[in-house]
Amino acid sequence: MADRSHIVKSYEQELGQLRSMMAQMGGIVENQVALALSAIADRNEEAADAAARQDPEVDQLEREVEGLAIRLLALRSPMAGDLREIVAALKITGDLERIGDYASSIARRSLRIRMPENQISLSGLRSMGRLVQENLRRSIDAITQQDSNRAMEVWHSDRAVDEYYTALFRELVTYMMEDARNIRACTELLFIAKNLERIGDHATNVAERVFYAVTGDNLPSLRPRGGPASGLTGAETTQEPDVR
Amino acid sequence: MTPQTSPGMTQDFMMTETDPQTVKSPEVALAVRNLNFYYGENHALHDISVNFPARRVTAMIGPSGCGKSTLLRIFNRMYDLYPGQRATGEVMFDGRNILDHDLDLNILRARVGMVFQKPTPFPMSIYDNIAFGVRLHEKLNKADMDARVQDVLTRVALWNEVRDRLNAPAAGLSGGQQQRLCIARSIATRPEVLLLDEPTSALDPISTARIEELLDELKEEFTIAIVTHNMQQAARCADQVAFFYMGRLIEVDSADRMFTNPKQQQTQDYITGRFG
Repeated sequence: MADRSHIVKSYEQELGQLRSMMAQMGGIVENQVALALSAIADRNEEAADAAARQDPEVDQLEREVEGLAIRLLALRSPMAGDLREIVAALKITGDLERIGDYASSIARRSLRIRMPENQISLSGLRSMGRLVQENLRRSIDAITQQDSNRAMEVWHSDRAVDEYYTALFRELVTYMMEDARNIRACTELLFIAKNLERIGDHATNVAERVFYAVTGDNLPSLRPRGGPASGLTGAETTQEPDVR
Repeated sequence: MTPQTSPGMTQDFMMTETDPQTVKSPEVALAVRNLNFYYGENHALHDISVNFPARRVTAMIGPSGCGKSTLLRIFNRMYDLYPGQRATGEVMFDGRNILDHDLDLNILRARVGMVFQKPTPFPMSIYDNIAFGVRLHEKLNKADMDARVQDVLTRVALWNEVRDRLNAPAAGLSGGQQQRLCIARSIATRPEVLLLDEPTSALDPISTARIEELLDELKEEFTIAIVTHNMQQAARCADQVAFFYMGRLIEVDSADRMFTNPKQQQTQDYITGRFG
């Protein structure tokens, strides 16, 4: 029983195909987020276009993963670890697709921002972006390596993303209070921050699903959360932007 | 021992809650403890301890030769029919050890019914297939016997199909009907435990579905132990699943945990089809 591959080779091949499609989708989405962050930080229009252009490919992969997962469920009657992996793939593919949407939303928004004369500091947004990117990278590593420890790391570090978001919210509100001419740019930046925070949430979803697929156990339903900034609980209830 | 009563449960053979190899249940119909079984020199079952909860379906799965059918055959002492086969340990059923030499096997077999892989109707009429076993244990008048036959045939959903030909030979029924007749025959003596050894492996999907539906109804009244090679069937029908490998009980757990998150690697390998 040392060999862990299936007796039915075609089943093994299809599971392998599912894993490689997930890895491919993860790679594209990771790249989209990197491009979107570059679009904001470096005012890189080309990167913004490139991020948005990859959306249809991600959507197509999502449909293909769903098709293959349903086929595996129908034809192979998967059990135990296989069942968990396939069901997790079905859900993860949805999370990755959402991450792709948020990334292209950030990219498109970055093109619209007109920075006021008195430069607003983007360092907070950059730091938050790096952390979200790192979490996403670890989530995708967790998928490809079926690594529950990696998944657990992501789950724990989502709290830091939330804290960044809360701090950034406060910072941008301060800019707006200081000078009304900042409102337009800061509102765009707030939406971007919210999109980044959502990407972080979806990366954490991915980590939770990988953890379940690998171990069969669920992580606690309550995630470690960053506390709301005092007097700024609005940060927790900000209307979610339509990213479609 | 009145066959109509459900198995009386005594605390002394309930497993403790800390035992990892049990599904917690308020009642235990069969409590297997340190059971070993030998076919002559061949040690076929190694130190098996497992509870069969009352009025639940327990499925036994595992590759051929793993000992699951052997265990089933111990429960009604079928092995007694063959010289050289012996069991040690205990199987407690209603306060008695089934393995005791002075146990009345006729009464045991009336209380523990069995259905085999291939339908085994007696070479007699449909009516007599049912009445035959009942007559051995009970003296019923014609009206009561008719009522018993109708009752069990109705419960196995066969009555409407055979009511007009009760005196026709049972051999004329289809495979699925014959198997349902065999189940009817087993429950006609009002046993407490029903043993099923791959009861649907020779049946088409519709007959299989009928029997699975029947199990669902029967478990309200009987404790059912089923041996099956069909993993989906075990998942569909069983409350508790036990996985055997090479004469050892590897894992026993509720069906949903067993098929979504088994604890043992060997179980995982077997149920996902990685057993090389």
